[in-house]
Amino acid sequence: MMKSPNRFLGSIWPRFYLNNDEHLNPYYTFQDYRQTWGMAIFILMTTALLPLIVMTLIYYQLIETSIDTESLLRTERATSNARRAVTFFLEERLAALTFTANEMGYDQLTNPGHLTEVLRNLKLGFGGLTDLSVIADSGTQVTYAGPFNLEGKDYSNQPWFMECQQHDACVSETFSGYRDVPHIVVAVKSTRPDGRLFVLRATLETERLIQTLSAYKTGEHADIFLVNRNGLLQTPSQFYEGESHHVDITLPTYSNRTKAVMSADRNGQPIVIGYAFIDTEIAPTSFILMVVKQKAGMMKVWLNLRSDINWFLVVSAVILAIVITLTSTFMVNKIFQADRQKAETMVMAEQNCQLASIGQLAAGVAHEINNPLALINETAGYVKDLFLIKAQYEDTELVEHIDSIIEAVDRCGTITRQLLGFARRFDVHTQPIDLKEMVADVISFHKKEAAYRNITIHMDIPETIPLIETDRGKLQQIILNLVNNAFQAIDDGCFLDIRAEMDGSERVRLFIRDNGCGISEDHLNKVFEPFFTTKKEGKGTGLGLSITYGLVKKLHGNITIQSKRGEGTTFEITLPIQCQKEV
Amino acid sequence: MKVLLVDDEKKFVLMLARRLNLRGIQAEFVYTGAEAIVLVEKGEHFDVAVLDVKMPGISGIELRRELEGLDPRMKFVFLTGHGSSIDYRVGASEAAFYLPKPLKIEELIKTLGRLTGGPVEDANPRH
Repeated sequence: MMKSPNRFLGSIWPRFYLNNDEHLNPYYTFQDYRQTWGMAIFILMTTALLPLIVMTLIYYQLIETSIDTESLLRTERATSNARRAVTFFLEERLAALTFTANEMGYDQLTNPGHLTEVLRNLKLGFGGLTDLSVIADSGTQVTYAGPFNLEGKDYSNQPWFMECQQHDACVSETFSGYRDVPHIVVAVKSTRPDGRLFVLRATLETERLIQTLSAYKTGEHADIFLVNRNGLLQTPSQFYEGESHHVDITLPTYSNRTKAVMSADRNGQPIVIGYAFIDTEIAPTSFILMVVKQKAGMMKVWLNLRSDINWFLVVSAVILAIVITLTSTFMVNKIFQADRQKAETMVMAEQNCQLASIGQLAAGVAHEINNPLALINETAGYVKDLFLIKAQYEDTELVEHIDSIIEAVDRCGTITRQLLGFARRFDVHTQPIDLKEMVADVISFHKKEAAYRNITIHMDIPETIPLIETDRGKLQQIILNLVNNAFQAIDDGCFLDIRAEMDGSERVRLFIRDNGCGISEDHLNKVFEPFFTTKKEGKGTGLGLSITYGLVKKLHGNITIQSKRGEGTTFEITLPIQCQKEV
Repeated sequence: MKVLLVDDEKKFVLMLARRLNLRGIQAEFVYTGAEAIVLVEKGEHFDVAVLDVKMPGISGIELRRELEGLDPRMKFVFLTGHGSSIDYRVGASEAAFYLPKPLKIEELIKTLGRLTGGPVEDANPRH
């Protein structure tokens, strides 16, 4: 139970981080595993996180655009509704005045008692009127009905009166007038029986108008008010109330349609402004209806959601980072281990190669010494023959001396033979070996050459082949020699086929087949003889297959060859599963 | 029994021939493969040819092929300064024997006897 967490830790622990086997460095495929690891993590993180982040940003963008569109539409609708209400409020009262002026006529209206009666009726019918007066074309107030005594006042210089002279009716801006109370004057023009003009004027309570407006105010983040065309507040405002009563928003140019735009307030906060120029059917006004909404207020729900999404994104990124780091470490570890194994094999192969060179050198020296030794041996032997066989001379002491020469030569001969056997005299060390892995290892040495020469290597070693108890170095040398031999025998573009099968339950058969030039029948029984070679002089020693034969025999196995000229060659090696049992 | 010795080591082959002669084996010697071929081509028959493996010009292995073609009855023994007899016997075909240098004359005579199937002369009558 304790093993599995340890194994898990072992597989994700970055072993390559503290790689201090410097002697293996030249044999690694990747020199800098830390960099490879870093690159792997970086690339995976980028490919995993980038689309996520980009998608989220696009989503944010889309949501915000649609919120903007929606708030513009809503503001425009609210403004439009409020505009209708305000326009109706003013038109209703203007229409009542027009009706009164035309129905009653100047004479009846200048009767003070009658005018008071009319005011009471209008108040009952419409409400929102403070007083009512009739003004002659000179601007002088002729008759007054209401709470203040304003009879005889001259209105000829008042802007609304002048406007009323030009149009049939008028609506004033909010002003304090003689009474210093904010109010709006509405007036209509009519004609006396003698053809002269008169004006019927009424004062509107701004309170009523303010109530009408505030009915269209939606929530605490919205404001609704009227301004004149110079930006002066006409009704109270939640956001812009101040000493100057001036609204610091850029006013729009005149339009007869309701509109909504995006803007920013004095603090730079985004706002949505809806506006409409108020015009009645009878007379234009200087009022602009403004609906101001703070965008932050409208976005509140979305901002909360966005914060949730951001958290989700951060948590996902952290989980991804952990998974990617663990996976990358695991994969790079695997590659590192494989590479390390390869490097170790290469170092071993190089050592074997050095040993082989020493062996060859020794063989060369021994050969050179053996010939003079043979001469000494034969000469001494001949002299001894002269004494003993021919009996030409008689000297026992001298024969003894000759014998010691022959003995010395024999001793030298033994030494040179030992020297010659040096490279092949290593004891057989058996260990369990995976044949498939070993063949794959050997093939990997030739991968580059195979790719370069366009040689196909096919390996078919079934998983059912058990581990073989044999000498690793010798078996490796056997396979390496045969693969080398095949590579030298085949032309570019040919193939090499290595397969294995069981031979009963005790032995395994390995076939190494090529479709190279093949060997003629009369050479076939000599290929394992030492010094036999079909290669050009100086190209081959003629010892490769002979040594291979010796090695197979040392492993208690057997090697045979089948070949046809022009069709290819198959070497068949039979090896016992248990090397030592087969003695 | 008639034996042909071929080896480029002139003194060695001379000594060997003399020792064989002393033991009643008729031995002739030449220094190169070419000379050996000429000799056999003349029609001279040898029961056994003792060949050095490594010689300048025609090697022992090649010479065997040539001589076999000229005289199929001929048997062969190879001499080599290269390695032990055991190593070579492993790779050798049944029809040939390998003997390592330096040579033991008793072993050579035993081998010659085995090849020709005849009685082996006493290699060293006094011992």
